[in-house]
Order: sequence, then structure tokens, then C-alpha cells
Amino acid sequence: MAMKKFINDPLNLTPELLAGMAIAHGDKIAIQSEKLVVRAAPKDESKVALLTLGGAGHEPALSGFVGEGMLDISVVGDIFAAPGPPKVLEAMRLLKRDAGILFVVLNHAGDVMSANMAMEMAEKEGIKIKMILTHEDIAPGIDTPIEDRRGLVGCVPLYKIAGAAAEAGKSLDEVYEIAERFNNNMATLAVAMNSATHPSTGDVLFELADDEMEIGMGQHGEAGTGSTKILTADKTAEVMLNGLVSAVNAKKGDKVMVIINGAGATTLMELFIVLRGVKKVLDEKGIVIAASKVGEFLTVQEMAGFQMFIAKMDDELIELWNATADSPYMTVR
Amino acid sequence: MSNTIGQNEVINMILSAVARIRENHETLSKLDSATGDGDHGTTMLRAMKALEDTINANPDEKLKDLLHQIGWAIMSADGGSTGPLLGSFFMGMSEGVGDNSELDSSAVAEMIIAGVNKVHKQSRGQVGDKTMMDALLPAADALKAADKGATVQDILKDAAKAASDGSEATKDMKAKFGRARNLGDRVIGHKDPGSVSISLIFQGFYDSFAN
Repeated sequence: MAMKKFINDPLNLTPELLAGMAIAHGDKIAIQSEKLVVRAAPKDESKVALLTLGGAGHEPALSGFVGEGMLDISVVGDIFAAPGPPKVLEAMRLLKRDAGILFVVLNHAGDVMSANMAMEMAEKEGIKIKMILTHEDIAPGIDTPIEDRRGLVGCVPLYKIAGAAAEAGKSLDEVYEIAERFNNNMATLAVAMNSATHPSTGDVLFELADDEMEIGMGQHGEAGTGSTKILTADKTAEVMLNGLVSAVNAKKGDKVMVIINGAGATTLMELFIVLRGVKKVLDEKGIVIAASKVGEFLTVQEMAGFQMFIAKMDDELIELWNATADSPYMTVR
Repeated sequence: MSNTIGQNEVINMILSAVARIRENHETLSKLDSATGDGDHGTTMLRAMKALEDTINANPDEKLKDLLHQIGWAIMSADGGSTGPLLGSFFMGMSEGVGDNSELDSSAVAEMIIAGVNKVHKQSRGQVGDKTMMDALLPAADALKAADKGATVQDILKDAAKAASDGSEATKDMKAKFGRARNLGDRVIGHKDPGSVSISLIFQGFYDSFAN
């Protein structure tokens, strides 16, 4: 089937989408040096800065979370492709400060390579920076080495929590410790029902039969645990949640955050129905939902499906999650 | 064929590699559709443009500095892991060439081997992992094994053959890294596009002397 998308030049998608995002949210963000999404009003230099990088095509992620209480700069690559180390280094130079920089990287080969090379160069220049790698996908199994587990939607709540800690004036070591605590207590599982097309090439990312879904499918169509017949929302929620609950070792009385992140073509109606299913299962286990979000945070073009995210929360993490934030796609007042 | 080459011949080698990649970019993207997300050809085209622009903008640059700038320009042309790896190749060549402007076959070998080593510092891939290292490492081995008296053309021919054989062999492999790894058995039967790019580059290096 031919690709149906409202685009112009398939090789100029990233600059055009960023230009549009900046028009829509000019009060919060600005584009600098083509591929850097920065805050419209920079954060005070006495506070730790938050930096991330990643490919485009996953809107609103990642750049839609630049703003007060969240990210300071998002370095954008091309569609599904990491930005190069020189661009990342440029962002690090812009954010250089005595308070330091927390650099959040999602575990994908290109992102990590670019991040590592930029980190090496930044450290040579005396830039104070710590890197945190998100790798919360449990599809390959929770015993799989970290380098083989992808970073999915979990980066978004992590930006929120680390961003709030930075905004509160905590030191780089403290912000890092909080972010790493959240990072080590979160888990995501994705499910896909229909494929997406790569908007530059028009290629279909993967194939799924009409009556099938695949749990564990990554955000670029990476294989999951094999396809199965489509289940009901409740049954899907139960199967996925059981894996997530055991991954974060949540027990009766524990508080968790739940995010149901639409992949692009799945309706809010469905996502709400799934969250209801999640609550039923958690109620049975005596696990409390302390925070929840339903919507599109990190998408994969017109892929149908969603990512189910949970994190075990403590009081400090909940407080930081509820602190004020003002980014284009996440606001807390 | 002289036994030493100068800056112009090295530039011709590189431009010949650019031409090879351009001729084959559609094949590269098709291969990538089977093993990744289908944009390797587009990524390589972007990298080749950055490379060519750098050469055109710096006609009088010293070879060492030119190679370094090419590496930096390729890294700047966002391309997932291809950009940093291919950029590293040229940065490594820059380190390997040092202040030489006249290169005999050993100096050419040394330059390219330094490029491969630099890539290997960034990639965990070994031969058998279905990455561009499957073409790069055998090419470097062929250069290391080259006879001291061989001509530049001879050693590049051997390196191109080794890279091509290495790339062919990726067809039967499962991937250990990157997105292809997540596709499991689905990638068997398809060559790794990164290794094909490397093979094309080495073929281009050699072709520049064959014409």
C-alpha cells in the first residue's frame, strides 16, 4: 500500500516539523542552530541543566518536553536516526555551567554511540556532565543485559522527575541519584497491532496479519516476543501488566505510576479502556496507582498499539512528579 | 603506476568511493528494509554529500586536516550509528596519515588500518556479528598482510576483495547489535547494509586506480 501522509519533501521532514512545533509553542520553546530545541526562557545557570537526544518522527517526543520543570535542550536527529556527536557537543557547550548537566539517553545503538562520543569530547573540554541511560523495555526479558534493552516512553516521566529535582536547585549528584532511582524502578512493554511507514522512505516497518498483534514490538518495528491473535483490552492489559509488575517487583501496598502511551493510530477510547483494565488487575493485587497518564507521548507514526509503562514510586518521586512543569506536551500547574 | 601516491590520488580514491555509494544507494536502502528501518541508503547519501562538500570547500587543506574535517562533517550529517562510525573511519585515517603527503603502499595501508581501528573503538562488533566490522576487519587484515613491495593498487585490490567477501558472509548471520539484532532470524538471508557500504567504499578506492 502506498504511503499516505501530509508531507512535502520526504528528506526535509525534521526541519519542517520543528518549525511547526516552534510556531505552535513559541511561548515555551525555540529552535536554535537547526536541530536544537531549547527553552524560550532559559533556566537559571545556577541550576542543573537537563539534556536529551534522539531521532525525530516520534512526536511529541522528545522535543515536546522541553520547558520549565523538564528538559533544557533536546538535540534532534533525522527521522528515527540519532543526531551526530558534533550537534550533541554543541548543546553541551551551550548548557555548560558549574551546576552541571544531566544527559538522558534512550538505549538505541545510534543514540548511545553519538552520546558516548560527545561525552568524551565534553569531558575533555571540562564540561561537568553525567549521563543516564534508560533501558526499561522488558520485551527481551528482565534478565537480559542492559545494553540489549531499549529505552521507550519511560524517558518522558524521567524528564519530568529529574527536571523537577533540577528546578528545585538540587545538585548534579542528587538529581542523578533521583533519576537513577526512578530509572531502576521502571518498566515498559509495547504492543503493536498495525505497522507504520517510514516517512522518508515510505517503507512499511513490519508486517502483521489482520487478526494478529505483537507484544514487545519496539518503536521502530523491532521484533517482540512473536505475534499472537488479538486479545481483548482487558486480557491484553492483564498479560502485559503481569510482566511489568514482576519486572519492577511491585507488591501489595506499593504505589505505582502507570502510563498508557498511544503509538499513533490507537484511539484514546482504547487507551482509556486499557487503563481501566490495568486498574482492575492492580486492585486485585492491592497495588495503588499513585499517578497516571493516558495519551500520546512517544509515537511511531501511524503505528497502532501502545506502550504500557509502570514505575514503583516513593514519596519523593511522587512529589517531584506533581511539581509544576510547563512544556508543550506536559504541564502541571 | 607509481609506487607512491599524493594528496590528489587520495582525494580521487575517496571521490570514487562516493560515486560507488551513489550508484548503489537504492540497494542499500532495500537491504536495510530487511534488517533495519530502510534508510541506510538515504543516510549514506547524506554522508557522501557532506564528504564531497568538505573536499570542495577545502581545496588547499593538508591531507591530515582534510580527512579530519571529512570525519567531522560525516558525523554532523545525522545518521544513527552510521554517521559516528563512518566519521570515525575518516578521523582515524587522518591520525594514520600523519604529516605524510606522499604515500607508498605501506603508508596507505597504515592510513586505512588506523581508520578501521578508530571505528572498532566505537563499535563492539566483531567478525560474525553482522555489522560493518565484517567488511572492515578483513580489509584491515588484508592490508596488514600485504607484501611490502606491493603497489598501492595491489593492496587496495586485496582489501576490496576481503571487504566484499566479508560483506557476502553476513548474509548467513544473525545480528548481534542494533536494530537488526531485535529482528532475530528474520535477517538471515540478507546482507548487512553497513558492510555492503564498506565494501563499496573499498571497491571505489581500488577503482580510482584501475581506470
